[in-house]
Amino acid sequence: MLLLGLTLLLTAAAAADLPDTGAPPLLGPGLGFSPSVSASASAPPLLLLPQPRPEYGAPGVALARSAAEEPAVPAEEEEGPHHHHGGGYRVVQWEWSYVQTPYIIAIWLLVASVAKILFHFSQRFTTVVPESCMLILLGLVLGGVVLIANKKQLYQLEPALFFLFLLPTIVGDAGYFMPARLFFDNLGAILTYAVVGTLWNAFCTGFCLYAAKLLGVIDERVQADLMDFLLFGALISAVDPVAVLAVFEEVHVNDTLFIIVFGESLVNDAVTVVLYKVYISFVEVGVENVQTADYFKGVASFLIVSIGGTLVGLVFAVILGFITRFTKKVRIIEPLFVFLMVYLAYLTAELFSLSAILSMTFCGIGANKYVEANISQKSRTTVKYTMKTLASIAETIIFIFLGISAVDKSKWAWDTGLVSCTLVFIFVFRAAGVIGQTWVLNRFRLVPLDKIDQVVMSYGGLRGAVAFALVVLLDGEQVKAKDYFVATTIVVVFFTVMFQGLTIKPLVDWLKVPRSTSRKPTINEEIHERAFDHILTAVEDIAGLQGYHHWRDKWEQFDKNYLSKLLLRKSVYRKSELWEAYQKINIRDAISVIDQGGNVLTSARLSLPSMASRASFPEVTNVTNYLRENGSGVCLDLQVIDNVPGAKVEEDTETHHVLAENLYKPRRRYQSHYSRHFMPLGEKERQDREVFQRNMKSRMETFKSTRHKRHKKERSLKKRRGSDAKEDGSDKPRRNVSWQDKNPVVVPVESEEEKGEHSDPEKEEDVGITFVARKAETPKQRPKSVPAALDGSPLASPSSPPSGDSHLPWKGSVGSPPPCVSVEANKIIPVDLQQAWNQSISSLESISSPPVPAEPVHPRVSALSRLGGPRPASYTPPGSTAGSTSSIGAQVLQGPFCFPERNKKEEEEEEEEGGAVQEMQPLMSSLRPPGSLMPPPAPPPPGSAPGQAGGGNPCVYLRSLVMAPSPGSGEPHSRGPTQL
Amino acid sequence: MGNKQTIFTAQQLFDRYRDLAPQLVPLDYTNHPDVKLPYELIGSMPELKDNPFRQRIAEVFSEDGEGNMTLDDFLDMFSVLSEMAPRDLKASYAFKIYDFNNDDFICKSDLEKTLNRLTRNELTEDEVRMVCEKVIDEADLDNDGRLSLEDFQHMIVRAPDFLSTFHIRI
Repeated sequence: MLLLGLTLLLTAAAAADLPDTGAPPLLGPGLGFSPSVSASASAPPLLLLPQPRPEYGAPGVALARSAAEEPAVPAEEEEGPHHHHGGGYRVVQWEWSYVQTPYIIAIWLLVASVAKILFHFSQRFTTVVPESCMLILLGLVLGGVVLIANKKQLYQLEPALFFLFLLPTIVGDAGYFMPARLFFDNLGAILTYAVVGTLWNAFCTGFCLYAAKLLGVIDERVQADLMDFLLFGALISAVDPVAVLAVFEEVHVNDTLFIIVFGESLVNDAVTVVLYKVYISFVEVGVENVQTADYFKGVASFLIVSIGGTLVGLVFAVILGFITRFTKKVRIIEPLFVFLMVYLAYLTAELFSLSAILSMTFCGIGANKYVEANISQKSRTTVKYTMKTLASIAETIIFIFLGISAVDKSKWAWDTGLVSCTLVFIFVFRAAGVIGQTWVLNRFRLVPLDKIDQVVMSYGGLRGAVAFALVVLLDGEQVKAKDYFVATTIVVVFFTVMFQGLTIKPLVDWLKVPRSTSRKPTINEEIHERAFDHILTAVEDIAGLQGYHHWRDKWEQFDKNYLSKLLLRKSVYRKSELWEAYQKINIRDAISVIDQGGNVLTSARLSLPSMASRASFPEVTNVTNYLRENGSGVCLDLQVIDNVPGAKVEEDTETHHVLAENLYKPRRRYQSHYSRHFMPLGEKERQDREVFQRNMKSRMETFKSTRHKRHKKERSLKKRRGSDAKEDGSDKPRRNVSWQDKNPVVVPVESEEEKGEHSDPEKEEDVGITFVARKAETPKQRPKSVPAALDGSPLASPSSPPSGDSHLPWKGSVGSPPPCVSVEANKIIPVDLQQAWNQSISSLESISSPPVPAEPVHPRVSALSRLGGPRPASYTPPGSTAGSTSSIGAQVLQGPFCFPERNKKEEEEEEEEGGAVQEMQPLMSSLRPPGSLMPPPAPPPPGSAPGQAGGGNPCVYLRSLVMAPSPGSGEPHSRGPTQL
Repeated sequence: MGNKQTIFTAQQLFDRYRDLAPQLVPLDYTNHPDVKLPYELIGSMPELKDNPFRQRIAEVFSEDGEGNMTLDDFLDMFSVLSEMAPRDLKASYAFKIYDFNNDDFICKSDLEKTLNRLTRNELTEDEVRMVCEKVIDEADLDNDGRLSLEDFQHMIVRAPDFLSTFHIRI
């Protein structure tokens, strides 16, 4: 429906355009949507903005103008009858011509965006068909509609629009988020493929087409000589960054492969630009007039264009870094500087006819490090999202317009010979070029590119909008066969984007190309990578080599000594990059904890490659990083298995794993539902919640490590000392839960109970297996856990404002560092000092746990309510023997189960718990007393007979859990989905 | 790259080794197999002036653990870092480099030393401690608060292109 409506609107707009075609310069819709009549500009039309019409010079005066001036504009008269309703004041007026340009643009953007939405309705479909294909098809349809409505194609991909607006957004995004290290590590290969490969392709394609023409394969009507074919070869041979990005993003090949193909597509711009310009000038002056010197000029021009473009980019990068150093007071416009400078780099390069893509790419790469360090976290997010949005929409428009442009009878000068020859040649030469160059490169590469890589690289040589825009720019006067070339280019682009784009994924699957290893870069890797760099540099130096590491080390020295001092804020540059990395990782952890619930859609579809498109991700820093990010959810599985220590692998680990898997899904959905409801809440609540989750997390962690230690102890007494220390430490955080608890009687029960409940939803299913496996251990554990809980509680009361020391145990636990950064993530306070974050934590903590101080008498209430209320109410009271045994059982169950799941599980868990508390706190505190006084009618089995529960009757237990909350009206609502 | 080139490389390396201290290393090495390059010579190379790991590398690869390298040690070092060396060997040497106190475990103090070298002592103690904890936390599988060789190898195996960067082309 919506699409239909849009189409109608579109045709209406097109129809309204119709009268304009008579006077293109005056009424042209501007911004590249001009009628195709004016399309064949020989020089890049730099004037894109709608020529300001004198009458409308001041748009602000629309109202005043509408009353009086309207009839005075003669050009408006053919706009329709609306203006001639009669004299006098008109209440409603038709002001189409006034809003026309922005209106059409907005409509197009809307169409593009809605199209994207529609494609992603069907998940199965989008995994098979790349988005770019669908967009081109949509463009074909829309073009058909416009054509039928108008008998004439009004829209096409305007080169100026493309080169000045659409392409920069995509390149800017790619450059800014380019994984710099990966790029420079493979720079040699990238440059080789980009320069040698493109030249090879261009010449071979051009010459062979000419040969085919001489042989008569190409029709006589195609009036082209050698130069024309070389020109055509030059523009058709360049791999297109837009197409490569669009297709490869969905394929997820490994990073190296991706960066080589993508880097090539960016860098070859210089080659294409130079070849194109050189040939154009040759065609203009005529081949016979070309002198030998001109060829050398061509080579010189290549050097100037590429190096000059790079330099322009780097200069702008330095300026950008320098500017952002001083934006502390005006944070709000920080992102603007990024966009402006990167775009200016592009325009400046274009101004001097240097390689604009190179300029922009290097500006992005160069500035990224300094800008990211200088600007605030919010600005970073803004930059990221805006860039992704712009790039995504630009890409969409490019593909739609490619489709639309194809539907134009005037363009189709079809010659089967030319088309098929071109297709064959570009494919063959691409493959040959890749194989040849790889053979040479592999002699120098540490990690050689194997055959499969070469196949993918050959197959991934996609042509796209750049070629199309260039061919449209040709001057039909001088290049007689322009129409043939245009048609051929369209076919080539469609073939590569659609056919190869469609088949590359199956091909990659079939060849078992190593995919990008989706995992988070850990702080370990950061450190080791850096350490390895140093080590290798040292060894190279000892060996007296001046290798890659040597130069990188030199560069880093230079960067450290001069550049960073110049471009980074004082407060920032003091920090080493490692620290930055550490913080980033922590922030990301924190964000993922929150987002986990926030975007269920994203997480649910994480595994679907089609969701890889730039727009759809919260944590995308660049394409490859995205891939890594993506893995955090998907790879959970592996990590879980990985994390199980070899010595402790129990038979049932896998069973746990399977069970855990089964339990995940309902939970996740539940959370998201909850969170979606919750997200709109204000910043403060969010913060509180986060801090709360952090607390929970650290508690969970300490608990786990305690549990873990116990197992260890039982196994080997040797490590007793270390684990004891840790255990002592880890008790402290736990008291955060029960720290108000002054009643020693309750302590053991409560702490155990609490432990058991942390694993709440998983437990039911785990009961059977684990309990049996561990049953023998219960007596041993009992004495240990009690003292732990006991010596936690006396210390507890003074602990509310944690000092630096009392945080130590926290930090011993896994989840501890994140709190500081998660706080920072929200508050955007650079955490420079431990002290600082201690303070902030403590202050926030006091905010976050108001329920506890508010009800000092009922510490359990808060603890219990946090844990979901109804169950404790039902089975705590049995107390003395049965209760404790059962809770030990629970504890035993929980320990081994939770431990392997470290990362993800706990996040999920506390996500849920944190959420649950917030939601239920008021409810529970009022609800709890009756529950404790009068246990619900169905006392749960595990309480009365742990053996029974251990005997594998999780269902009963489960049912009791579900049924228990009958007194609390709010409970079933929130807990229900989780349990079932 | 056949056998031939390897020999050639060894010859080159020997030249290099000799260049470092022509007065100590005789040209005809066979008669003086136990010549050592004192660490002071290696450590004072101008290129290595800024390298935080120069001492550690010399210590790890030298037989006596003092950083005085024989030709064998010297060649060993390049063998370990060559492309042919198996991954486990590389991993174990990388591990040794981190293991400052030679107790076969990377413990917190080792990590702190590493970090301080990497960051040139620009982090505060607290920051270093936090990072170290995170590091141990990430890789410590048996939760003993330090990284054993197994932990380390495991971590490295998980990052596929990790050790692939740990070699140089001679």
